[in-house]
Amino acid sequence: MILRLNTDIAAGTVGLVFAAVLWLPREEIGRLSIIFPRAILVLLCLIAVALIVKGVIRPGGRQVEITGSPRRLFTVIAGFFLWWGLVQVLGFLVTTLIAFFALTWYLARVETRVTWQRLLRWMPVILGLVIVFYLTFKEVLNVRLPTGLLF
Amino acid sequence: MDMLLEALASLLTFESVITVLVGVSAGLFIGAMPGLTATMALAVLLPFTFSMEALQGLMALGGVYMGSIYGGAFTAILINTPGTPSSIATTFDGYPMARQGRAYEAIAAATIASVAGGIVGVIFLLVLAPPLARWAVAFGPSEMFWVAMLGLTLVASLSSDSLLKGLLGGCIGILLSTIGVSPVGGESRFIFGYPPLQGGIELIVALIGLFVIPELLTMAAEGRGALPGQTELRKKEVSILSIVRHIFGKPINLIRSCLIGQIIAIIPGAGGNVTSLVAYNEARRFSRDPRSFGKGNVDGVVASESSNNVMVAGSMVPLLTLGIPGAPPDAIILGVLLMHGLRPGLDLFTESGVLTNGFILSMGMAALLLLPVGLLGGRLIHRVVIRTPYYFLVPSIAMVTILGTFALRNSLLDVGIMLILGTAGYFLRLIGIQPAPIVLGLILGGIAEEGYVQTLMAAVVDPIPWLRLLHNPLSMVLAGMVVLGAATTLVPLWLARKGLLDRVEEDDGRSP
Repeated sequence: MILRLNTDIAAGTVGLVFAAVLWLPREEIGRLSIIFPRAILVLLCLIAVALIVKGVIRPGGRQVEITGSPRRLFTVIAGFFLWWGLVQVLGFLVTTLIAFFALTWYLARVETRVTWQRLLRWMPVILGLVIVFYLTFKEVLNVRLPTGLLF
Repeated sequence: MDMLLEALASLLTFESVITVLVGVSAGLFIGAMPGLTATMALAVLLPFTFSMEALQGLMALGGVYMGSIYGGAFTAILINTPGTPSSIATTFDGYPMARQGRAYEAIAAATIASVAGGIVGVIFLLVLAPPLARWAVAFGPSEMFWVAMLGLTLVASLSSDSLLKGLLGGCIGILLSTIGVSPVGGESRFIFGYPPLQGGIELIVALIGLFVIPELLTMAAEGRGALPGQTELRKKEVSILSIVRHIFGKPINLIRSCLIGQIIAIIPGAGGNVTSLVAYNEARRFSRDPRSFGKGNVDGVVASESSNNVMVAGSMVPLLTLGIPGAPPDAIILGVLLMHGLRPGLDLFTESGVLTNGFILSMGMAALLLLPVGLLGGRLIHRVVIRTPYYFLVPSIAMVTILGTFALRNSLLDVGIMLILGTAGYFLRLIGIQPAPIVLGLILGGIAEEGYVQTLMAAVVDPIPWLRLLHNPLSMVLAGMVVLGAATTLVPLWLARKGLLDRVEEDDGRSP
């Protein structure tokens, strides 16, 4: 998907928004702690303004391209965040098994039709992968992975 | 010298050899997958080193780094798709060789060149790093501020199409580094009333997010299928000995490429892709038969692969002495050093000399192990890489990144930060803000802040305090180099004029 967008102005705007997020809710911070971030914030604003001016006078790029399917992109982003959110509720093992199956099924549909038989054939591979990594981190590396309703 | 011998002794154990061997094989496996870079290989495999001793962990990661840079050559030669950006120039002659049925010759030449390059890089690192580290002791706060600025400017100018966008990314990275407790004032900053943010943004969390997640999202969006396996790794009538004779019989191409690799490796941000392109271009320029380049000249493969493997150890010269990563994968190594309480500088070569020398020598061992792993295991790795469907790859890598990020501090917040940074990194890349300057800003933010604040504290009675940043000749020279560094934006223009960037773009366009 190709979007018409002046990338210089977009980058400048991102810089200004980021600076505003850090600048506006500034708590009472002592001089020694704020002197450096303040200098960088000023520098960031100057660069951002310079980019916006450049974008108006002589733009570097006038379009951005999201290669592939934007729908798949946003679905996978949502999937990753859902994976993260559910880990606290269901625990790492259960969430990862669900997320792994769901992602594999969703991405495989791009190439071919995914039947139940095919999903069942993948089951040992996915189960094996997830359980091997789970046990490696839990038992060998002694990482206390989040537990939920079941594990 | 004693430390070097002691380091060598600690390296020549069964456990160490196995660690490096596993690291090289794992790196080769990931590096051989198109789209998965050396940085990604290091980030994904990093969690497995958490339970290791400092030296063993560094040895494993050194092996992964060396293996992944070399692994990029496999797909570059066999399917015209660079496994890592460092192998771009390898496609120019490697793929034509493969199409002529000389794939094995190209792989063998790439292997021998990589081994030679890796060892030369280690020698350079051993020779250059200790004196530079001693010299770095003379750097005061203002000099360290300028060193940080220099690293940032170079990365900003070399890794982005636009210097302004690179600098913008650098500033965003520096500001991200200021989240949490101030190193000088001791107060919490930019935590938005959320106490868990006091710990700040962990470097490795940001690295995994910014380098791995955008790649995964790209793979998912593009729906890249399994790679075509049209080119077989057949052994044609060519012996390893004849390839060795060809490379070392007229070693000038190898020597020139190694020197180019080392010089460029010291420049922060230049990376393996610039190194291999410049070395390839010079090999063609000095060749008696420049027209044969691009049509299957083995010297093109040798130039590209030797120079990018010199970079592996060579780019650690600024990392180990000044704390400035020479290439993005070095940032992971820096994260590991800091995790084990090791700070770059003279101490690394005195107090922790055995460990540092052990790490450097282990990279030499990794380079040597490329020979058996590449030549014997290459066929198997190639087959596995070709047959791994991307719909298994994406969730597998996502699982390891989530696990690895969580394991750092047992924090789900870190996983969230990693995902947020990774998603932001994907969209920032679309508008021309690359991850490398952001990451370097994050790394150098602390160094720059300490230098800046300490200098201004010392200048509290000066009429214009910030002029203290330029109070001695060394500071002035470094400030001048910052300006000069910004001028390196001319390098891509030079490459474009030589017609090399067009070829890179063409190759990128062909990538599945």
